[in-house]
Amino acid sequence: MKTMKLPSLYFFILSSLVLLFAITSLFVGASDISIADIIHTLFEQGEYDFIINQYRLPRIFLALGVGAGLGLSGALIQGVIRNPLASPDLMGISAGAGLAATTLLVFYAAAPVYLLLLTALSGGLIAAAIILFIAYKTRPTPMRLALIGIAISTFLSSGIDFLMIVNPIEINTAMVWLTGSLWGRNWTQVPLIWGTLAVIIPFAFWLAWRLDVMGLGEDCATSLGIRPSKLQLMALLTAVILASISVAVAGTIAFIGLLAPHLARMLFGHHHKYLIPSSALLGGLMLIIADTLARGLQPPLELPAGVLTSLIGAPYFIFLLQRYKAW
Amino acid sequence: MPLSIRHYISLLVVPILLLLTLGYSLIAWSSFPLNFSHLYAYLFHFDNTSIEQQILATTRIPRLLTGMLIGTNLAVAGVLMQGLTRNPLASPSVLGINSGAACFIALSSIGIHILGDVSSLLAAAVGGVVSGGLVILLGGFFSDRANPLKLVLAGIAINALLIGITRAAVILADERAYSVITWLSGSLANIDWQDWQSLWPTSLLGLLIAFYVAKNLNLLALGNDIAVSLGINIGFTRFLSCIAIVLLTASSVAVVGPIGFIGLIVPHIARRLVNNNFLLLIPVSALIGSCLIAWADSLARGIAFPAETPVGVITALIGTPFFVYLTIRNKMS
Repeated sequence: MKTMKLPSLYFFILSSLVLLFAITSLFVGASDISIADIIHTLFEQGEYDFIINQYRLPRIFLALGVGAGLGLSGALIQGVIRNPLASPDLMGISAGAGLAATTLLVFYAAAPVYLLLLTALSGGLIAAAIILFIAYKTRPTPMRLALIGIAISTFLSSGIDFLMIVNPIEINTAMVWLTGSLWGRNWTQVPLIWGTLAVIIPFAFWLAWRLDVMGLGEDCATSLGIRPSKLQLMALLTAVILASISVAVAGTIAFIGLLAPHLARMLFGHHHKYLIPSSALLGGLMLIIADTLARGLQPPLELPAGVLTSLIGAPYFIFLLQRYKAW
Repeated sequence: MPLSIRHYISLLVVPILLLLTLGYSLIAWSSFPLNFSHLYAYLFHFDNTSIEQQILATTRIPRLLTGMLIGTNLAVAGVLMQGLTRNPLASPSVLGINSGAACFIALSSIGIHILGDVSSLLAAAVGGVVSGGLVILLGGFFSDRANPLKLVLAGIAINALLIGITRAAVILADERAYSVITWLSGSLANIDWQDWQSLWPTSLLGLLIAFYVAKNLNLLALGNDIAVSLGINIGFTRFLSCIAIVLLTASSVAVVGPIGFIGLIVPHIARRLVNNNFLLLIPVSALIGSCLIAWADSLARGIAFPAETPVGVITALIGTPFFVYLTIRNKMS
């Protein structure tokens, strides 16, 4: 098993990168604001209070939270299913949560936030249940499972397309939301994702050790007092919760759940003890870079961050396909 | 191979279904009430002053004809692709040809001219060739042990990439998101005779080539060695089939945008009816494809009447469960 030499050094570098990009993100946007003004605004309000404190700052927190949620979710799913192509978006979980949330918003636009969360969660759970049922019934190879997941995902997202087109209330917003974006979000969503993370991250660490033991083989795990099926179910449930809430906050952002755990594995090896926090950090880092670029490429126009992540993620997916040998 | 009674019955049923489709699709779901008597009058004593007959002549007839020809094109392209790759999941939408064509059209329409100032048909053709070529290359089609799933997954990844580029390009270029999302889903809503004029010559050429290679594809299905010993030029057959696929797909996407899954579903239905004989498979697929798209378009008009739903959304909703079924059923690789 590959382990790296200096986990703490890598963690330090990663965290400082996250911090660096988070700060950079404060300076990027449609209106040019000087550094002095921004610092001034942060500590004692002022002219730019709205742009900085109400617009850019919450977005940074959201990008970090949603990215971390997606990365963590991907790490857990890949850890349980042991399929390098598994991730919340390729398994249809994101699309399921997205479809449920869109349905709710179309028919009950003024839905309170907790209801949106619950709806997204149930959508994600149903999609996960469908794909797990198919996987359980047909015992597909990892590749075929990925294919089935993608097809279900396509089905659910054409459901989203359909709802959007039939009810063109605010199609521009909807279009941006479809591909996943942090546009138009504010402080109200921040506690949702961070609250979830605050509960789930300690739990994920608790799972990490057990997932590592699972990696030794099911017999070994049983003899060490772990019930594999129960553990797998818990880890998957956690992953679905994380992915669904991320979708409820930011729409379906593709490929972060796939990429972050892969990068984490390259840097830190296969121990879930390191994999789980590093996937979360990398996910947050990727989304904050994508969001900053989405905002800064051609202001005042706003690209959905999901478009940027799929521009990076799709080539990486192809790279994975080229490398994958166990056909 | 001799045809059984079942085949003759199905060959009878398909045209009847086609006729019903024609009539229904022409008059159903109009915001201006139409019925069969108007259709009859239009066909046999056309009256220039009747609004109903004018609607039929200027919007309904071109829409139906264009839609059916596009269904034909995509279905035949699907038959050719499945025959060529021997992969039951191959089709223009799955292997990225649709989205490649759409992406290049979008790029050229916002002013990024990759080949200079070109027509949308040429842009679509180039896009289809580029993305199809990429998918085939990356999917390892030319490697020793070509894996059908790898080809499909490469197609899906290229699809995701191209759709991302298309959306980004269009959002950056202007903010008419609604028309873009409608066009990207494939819609027959604004078809007129001009679209038909730009569609039929390339489609006809593509269909003729498809018929021409049908016999060779039959022999190719027996295996490369047998085909060579029977005097088939494999490379040339493949080349012609690819030309036909590109012509058929590109002309369709240039007119209505990418419509998925017709090319995937129809060949499977047709193979149930007439087995693997390409000489019959191509015309039967063409008929079923045009029927399917006419029904899907009627549904697209009716499902949220009076608003129009892109027909591509309907075909995706029908097609993806079918795709899952095929993936589960086929014990490939």
